[in-house]
Amino acid sequence: MKSLRIVADLVQTGPPEELDPQIASNRRRQATAALVVALIVLLIVAGLTTPSFLTFENLLVVIRNASVTGIVALGMSYVTISGNLFALSAEELSILSACIFGWLMRANFGLSLSLVVTLLLSGGGGAVQGGIIALGADPIITTLAFGGFFRGLASVVSQNQNILLGSDAAEWLGTGRPLGVPTQSWAFIILTLVAWFVLQRTRFGRLLLLSGANRVAGTASGLRIGQAALLGLTLLGFCCGITGIFAAAQFGQAVANLFQGLNFDVIAAILVGGIALRGGQGSPIQAALGAVFISVLQNFMLLHDFTSGWRTTVVGILVVVATCGFHLLQRRRA
Amino acid sequence: MSRRDTLIDLAVRAAFMVIIYLVFAFQLPNYHTPNGIAALLDGAVLVGIVSVGVGVTMIAGEFDLSVGSLAAVTGVIAMEIINIGVLPALLVGVLFAAAVGAIQGLVIGALGINSLVFTIGTLIGFRGLAMVIAHENTVTMPIEQLPDVDVLTQRFLGVFSPISIGMIVVFGVVGLFLRYTRWGREIYAIGGGRSEARAAGVPVLRPMMIAFTCSGALAGLGGALLSIRLGSATPLGFDSLLLSAATTCLMGGIALEGGIGNVIGIAIGLFTLRFLVTGMGALGAPYYVQNLAIGALLILVVLIQLMATRRRRRQARAQLSVRIA
Repeated sequence: MKSLRIVADLVQTGPPEELDPQIASNRRRQATAALVVALIVLLIVAGLTTPSFLTFENLLVVIRNASVTGIVALGMSYVTISGNLFALSAEELSILSACIFGWLMRANFGLSLSLVVTLLLSGGGGAVQGGIIALGADPIITTLAFGGFFRGLASVVSQNQNILLGSDAAEWLGTGRPLGVPTQSWAFIILTLVAWFVLQRTRFGRLLLLSGANRVAGTASGLRIGQAALLGLTLLGFCCGITGIFAAAQFGQAVANLFQGLNFDVIAAILVGGIALRGGQGSPIQAALGAVFISVLQNFMLLHDFTSGWRTTVVGILVVVATCGFHLLQRRRA
Repeated sequence: MSRRDTLIDLAVRAAFMVIIYLVFAFQLPNYHTPNGIAALLDGAVLVGIVSVGVGVTMIAGEFDLSVGSLAAVTGVIAMEIINIGVLPALLVGVLFAAAVGAIQGLVIGALGINSLVFTIGTLIGFRGLAMVIAHENTVTMPIEQLPDVDVLTQRFLGVFSPISIGMIVVFGVVGLFLRYTRWGREIYAIGGGRSEARAAGVPVLRPMMIAFTCSGALAGLGGALLSIRLGSATPLGFDSLLLSAATTCLMGGIALEGGIGNVIGIAIGLFTLRFLVTGMGALGAPYYVQNLAIGALLILVVLIQLMATRRRRRQARAQLSVRIA
């Protein structure tokens, strides 16, 4: 009986889906174009109706806010594109990284050593999750578990108190403005370009896209599907580490309740960006645009005195509408 | 899984629960007093009730991420209208949550959309709604009404309070419904093999709606009960509920792929978790170590199940190759 079921399973997954690269890239372009248009419309509407919106200072605030969500969203887009849904531990890993960085700085390990160790540990935190998922565990449950674990660990590292960095060596990292633009935003822009290049132009990017597009076909043609999960989550870990370091450096302290709601902001950016959850398509650019769009919308609502409750509700509605919309579009094409 | 396999599986899980219990029972003398047991039961109510709902959606092969936010909204709503009386407020809250759950099930079933994605959106939206309704503040019960809540702390037979009896009733009713009614079996059918179920004439929409109505109503019941008992509701509360509920269900043998599991398993998972958390608390671990422990426990469960699945798959593959040869 068992063997029969396996054959049935094989039949059920069916022949490999046809992945026409032309159609896939058209879809991606359409989603990106739609988002850019929506963003421009939003910017025009906000600019016309809100006097304080199109000021340089305000736009810097928008970009800086988008940077925190955006950097993590870049890493998350790799997880999603590689067919591993999303990680529910990004917020917690960012908190843990901030606390570890704060702890190392306070213990006088010096800026460069603290940076390297924090990034290695955050990448390691991602890699452990990726390894377990690569062995076949469910990504949602695995990352949910590690999320609780990381949050607890962050509280233990910080003794649930503020960790003051105790030196201003890292201050420039969090508050500097080369050419007038915050460091976080430079990092966001550069990482977006790097992430895009890696996905589109390297072997690793191809591996991610193909693993997400069709597991069965990928395995059959000798791809190591597990590698995609491992690498995707490791990169997400690095992104969380970068975000955590920026936050600790910016505030001069780290505490275990940073980044409230970051997980869902990031997933919202992915979904609003139109990256298909079943994997195999999309680009980090879409995640970045999604983050910027949500940040602009949040800022627009803030300037119009929406309370944080209403802002959150609107983002929730936006995510529901966007996911249902993309889902229906895809179903119609199919 | 055959009936015998299911029983063995449950026995192993129960043994694990007993081991955790014994680890702490030896170190904590007041573990067995009626007060200790009553506190244990009361402490399990929130996660227990919500886990049953999450378990039902998991059996249907879906996952409801929105339970934490929905519990928060319902808690806030019940608190805002508490002047109509404790029971009516509870009832209105649960009806609201059930209606919301039914709509979620309807949309997910009718559009065929992935429930994870859809409930991520509603998770964010409900959290916002809770803040809007509560005006971004903690809602508290008027002082003159606090005596009404004393009903909830009464004791029957020394260890049962009305809320822990409520939890037991929820386990019983949902368990019987899943096991013995046609609609309950349909939930297993769409979880175990959706295309086979559809081919056999099982409607997908009805069990889907029932499952999500169930998880919505129970998340609401848990949130409202706890808020009423505490006399206050915070719109940002219940954010680690999903972790506890998912741990409870997986530890209780509800399969993530759907179609497998029952409420007895959920009860075993629930008490394994509670023994661990209350035991550590009683030994003086700070509250924030709870997340660490629950997370570590869930990681352990994931790893054990991963190894079991891989072993089963290897065996099946070996059998298959033998038969083909």
